[in-house]
Amino acid sequence: MSKDFNFSQGQDILTNLLLDGDTDQAMAFTKITISDGISPMEYFEGCIAPSLEKIGEKFESLEIFLPEMVFAADIVQKINDEILTPAVKNSTAQRIVPLGKVLLATVQGDLHDIGKNMVALLLRVNGFEVLDLGINVHPEEIISQAEREHVNIIGMSSLLTTCLPYMKDVFNLLNLKGTRERYAIILGGAAPTPDFAAGVCADGYGHSAAEAVTLCKKIMETRS
Amino acid sequence: MVNIPKVEPQLMASVLDKTEKGPWVEETEWDRHFINQTIKELVKKYNITWETSKSMVLSDDGLADRLFTAGLELALQSGLYCIDTHRRMIWSKEELENVLANTPREVKVGEGKDEVTFRKRNMEENSYVGVIGGPYGIPFPEELFIPVIKSYAQEPLLDIIDTPSLQTTYGYEIRAGTPWDQLAVWQEAALTFEALRQVGRPGMPIGCANSSASPLGELSSTSYGGFRRNDWHHNSIMSELKVSYSDLIRAVHFSQTGAISHNFYNPIYGGYAGGGEGIAIVTVAGMILLRACLWGESFNPGPSHAHLSCNTFPPMIPAQAVALQALARNSNMILAGFLRPTSGPCVKELFFEIAALTIAQVVSGVSFMKAVHTATGRFPMHCTPLEARFAAQITHAAEGLTRKEADSIVIKLIEKYKDNQKTIRAGKSFTEAYDIGSLQPTKEWQDMYEEACHEINNEFGISV
Repeated sequence: MSKDFNFSQGQDILTNLLLDGDTDQAMAFTKITISDGISPMEYFEGCIAPSLEKIGEKFESLEIFLPEMVFAADIVQKINDEILTPAVKNSTAQRIVPLGKVLLATVQGDLHDIGKNMVALLLRVNGFEVLDLGINVHPEEIISQAEREHVNIIGMSSLLTTCLPYMKDVFNLLNLKGTRERYAIILGGAAPTPDFAAGVCADGYGHSAAEAVTLCKKIMETRS
Repeated sequence: MVNIPKVEPQLMASVLDKTEKGPWVEETEWDRHFINQTIKELVKKYNITWETSKSMVLSDDGLADRLFTAGLELALQSGLYCIDTHRRMIWSKEELENVLANTPREVKVGEGKDEVTFRKRNMEENSYVGVIGGPYGIPFPEELFIPVIKSYAQEPLLDIIDTPSLQTTYGYEIRAGTPWDQLAVWQEAALTFEALRQVGRPGMPIGCANSSASPLGELSSTSYGGFRRNDWHHNSIMSELKVSYSDLIRAVHFSQTGAISHNFYNPIYGGYAGGGEGIAIVTVAGMILLRACLWGESFNPGPSHAHLSCNTFPPMIPAQAVALQALARNSNMILAGFLRPTSGPCVKELFFEIAALTIAQVVSGVSFMKAVHTATGRFPMHCTPLEARFAAQITHAAEGLTRKEADSIVIKLIEKYKDNQKTIRAGKSFTEAYDIGSLQPTKEWQDMYEEACHEINNEFGISV
């Protein structure tokens, strides 16, 4: 049956349902597709991931706005929690593995989070698991959470130049602990510049949420 | 000496009380329901719509009035969200009506011969519009702080100087929320006073403080020997309609010391407020709530594109213009326009971005312009006084234009930059675009400025 399923058409249907915020129809479409013999993994990779990527692109060009993307991500979460994950648990099918685990934080001293929240959302819709620590996060908290949660990437953001020293603290503390190499570290927000990122030996700098996603994908490709 | 507060302590207490007594709400619920959903409903209810393809500076008074009603309703229905207590701060209709009725129509800043008075201004009014210039919050090294301030302060068309952010203080890193904040802002004050003394404008009002992210800097330096009460002290709320204790700490300090405060709010275009219609509504609500919460004397919206961080993106221009018109027609607020273009020094489009948005805002009733957050203000040292001078020239040229006249000019100006506005083009830094010895633009930058002035003179009949 899976051979007969038209993934391209499926992507279009799902994309439209997600953009319409039609949770019931999106759930129903997923259930029918899975029951017709498409595995949860095939459905995720062939329909959900490309649909979310398209939605992310529409947000990058502001054809749609942040709330539409948030609502689409909510529906996908519901599909994952209520249909795909139980289906995977009840079968021998391959598990849906996130592309990587990313810790995000607005560093100590800074209360601005809208840019960081956009990055979190775009990473999620592109298949990453995101641990968002929020705003005004102490460097030691960033490190302890990264260790506890075994993240692959640490993403730090700040709008304010006077918060940059706290970013440096994270690098310095990781170097002191000898665990710097465990994580890729990327920086964003208005305050850090590419020069600053290079100066602290960050693994990347992203000007926009879309750049952050590209950066994380690239990092995970080189690390796998 | 007994200090006379500019806002009664009981009134400030009633504001603070709202951060503790308002309904507790999850932040996600705030973003989705109290901002996004409520704004969508208000757009429909009040028919807030326009065609960006047809007009950039709208002349529809009915729309402006409906927009004001919609914004006031958002302010009443949602209020502000305190991120420290997770409470909604709610004002009654009577409270907001009192706030609007008692908003000052005039403010004096600076002292002596450098004192400036700003008055509430109406749309299309042929009256003086002030101009604030400076490397506002843009990071600069200590050794360039005095030269860059002097280079702006020597521009006679600039009424207020806005300071940069120090990158270090006495050679040390500045850490937000620590005593370094205090030391940096005291240095910022000292260097600014020295620069103003050297250019012979010691009483020039100062937009401050910009080297400290936390309220520590302001609390410390708006004091004896530091920034003056009649300087122009910044305070703000965050997007969307969120306030922190840090903002309220500043507000209480200014209200009780009598320091003049300028308040701003930067909604996100493409964020929870949505597109142009949404940011217009949230802008009106935001300006009213700024006064109700932070008690400043003057106000500006500075919406920010979700990805480009600018406010010159074409669909954002009518939204800003009509929001200003709504406030100018229905309140006494002293409003400011704000310029955050994508282009930087030595990028010719910078002048067209500035001209388009300046004209749209001046005819829509602003009392002064804030010029310029060049290249979105995020690149260290990427700004020069030349674009501030140009903004001032355009500002004065637009005084007295009608909205219809402005509309046709703005549409043509946008054509000159929109195709290249795909990314931020930061251009050259202050040290590359200016001669630091003479504090004059390089030939390359001066020539580009003259070309832009020439084009604008010839094509639009605007004398700059």
